Amino acid sequence: MSGVLAVYGKEIKLYFRSPIAYFVLAVFLLGTGYFFSYNLFVSGLATMRETFQNMGLLAVILLPAVSMRLFATEYSAGTYELLATLPLAPWEVVIGKYLGALTMLGLMALGTMLDLVPLYLFGAPETTTIISGYLGFLLLGSTCLAIGQLCSSLTQNQIVAALVTVSILLGFWFVGHLQSFQTVQFLRELFLYISFAWHFGEFIEGLARFESLALFVLFSVGALTLNVCALEWRR
Amino acid sequence: MPHPVELHSLTKTYGERTVVDRVSFHVGQGEIVGFLGPNGAGKTTTLRMIAGYLAPTSGQVSVAGHDVVRSPSASASAVGYAPERPALYDSFDVLGYLRFVARAKRVHRADMASQLDRVVAACRLEAVAQSDVYKLSKGYRQRLGLAQALLGQPEVLLLDEPTSGLDPGQISETREVIRSFGSDHSVLLSTHILPEVTLLCDRIAILHHGRLLAIDSPSGLGTAVGRANRVELQVAPGGPPDLKDRLLDVSGVVRVDIDDRQAPYSVNCAVESSGNVEAAIARAISRDWELLSLRRHDPSLEDVFLHYVESAA
Repeated sequence: MSGVLAVYGKEIKLYFRSPIAYFVLAVFLLGTGYFFSYNLFVSGLATMRETFQNMGLLAVILLPAVSMRLFATEYSAGTYELLATLPLAPWEVVIGKYLGALTMLGLMALGTMLDLVPLYLFGAPETTTIISGYLGFLLLGSTCLAIGQLCSSLTQNQIVAALVTVSILLGFWFVGHLQSFQTVQFLRELFLYISFAWHFGEFIEGLARFESLALFVLFSVGALTLNVCALEWRR
Repeated sequence: MPHPVELHSLTKTYGERTVVDRVSFHVGQGEIVGFLGPNGAGKTTTLRMIAGYLAPTSGQVSVAGHDVVRSPSASASAVGYAPERPALYDSFDVLGYLRFVARAKRVHRADMASQLDRVVAACRLEAVAQSDVYKLSKGYRQRLGLAQALLGQPEVLLLDEPTSGLDPGQISETREVIRSFGSDHSVLLSTHILPEVTLLCDRIAILHHGRLLAIDSPSGLGTAVGRANRVELQVAPGGPPDLKDRLLDVSGVVRVDIDDRQAPYSVNCAVESSGNVEAAIARAISRDWELLSLRRHDPSLEDVFLHYVESAA
């Protein structure tokens, strides 16, 4: 565990000594703040539902900028040679880096909680729905980061890592729309079942269902396992 | 008791290309072994396999008795590895970087400060301890790379081209630092700079096209290629015509080449490595020829290296 903590500490330091963390946090909070204000003051909707929807899409687009550097820059800067020869197991490196990225996700979620102040002051929001929405956001975000980290471990170029990650995540976000074009029942169900947007939508509605939770956890664990395999394979 | 580093038939191939070919040797306790070879000889690949960065295609490598493939964590704990291009995080400061490496090497919190002080002093980094890594000169970056390798007091140090790209002053300082490691660590040092191994190493391993051509002490390698020992003479013209025969009669002289195109004649005698053949040569010819100079050349490391590389070719 001390190896995981060493890598985690390094990652946190690296995030906040580069402009990427500040940029992603700023864009995400400005974006969600704008949509929240619009919904509240223009549309007159005193709920988090629409804001969560926008948070999900923003996360899918912005989180690859958090994950893209995790391994790609280590390869290109030559520092992976150090990491791989320290007494650290590949899973310790993977988990340490993942926890660092999850901290960024946590900060993003924490920042949006400012929106809850006017909501509770001027409206009567359902607390359980808000909790479920945040749980969905964290699960969606952690899956995006695991997939992004896997992509980063497969290339030396962080831009390539980011573009591939965005493509994959948008694919899983919008895949649910394909069901309308399918006549085969199995495929209709499959497209819906693997759609990130559909499962996230369930959480936003206050339905924290086990199968939605299991899907996000399964994707995250699968991507992290492949990440460990990718590091082993590099040797 | 196992040697700190042991390689048995270590091989690495990439597709059809064999980069390291059945290399076997060991590094003894407290020994500094120089890994000598031209660029592309397989030195870095071999070091990377010992460090656990690359997996061998076949063969075994063990560090401090731990198989690098089967017990990667145990062997990595016994190794301090400094790659040719120092693996540094530019956005860290020097102490922050060393602290991260120490944590990753499981240095106990109570020992952290003393370990950092020790490696900073050993690598003479005091002047830049608070500086950001990206501001360091190349010499300091190289030494910071060495300092991280020393953390955790590893039994074995693997140094890949540690003086590469440094100016003469920095090279001299870095060599001093490495020489001081020999007492506490077993060191395997790769380089293609011949004087470096002569100055630093107890034994030299010559690698070429992935194959280990020889491993011995510098003097042992010289003896092994004894034919490269030679005595050069300058002789004034005018003596009897049988100079070559007279020299070949001297015990220990193997071959004689005479350049008599201009005065004085230049004579090159290949001699056996043992024995004082110079006095016998001088006695044999000084009565009938005027001997202007006589000088013995023992093989330099360059001669030894070229001898092995050319023999292999």
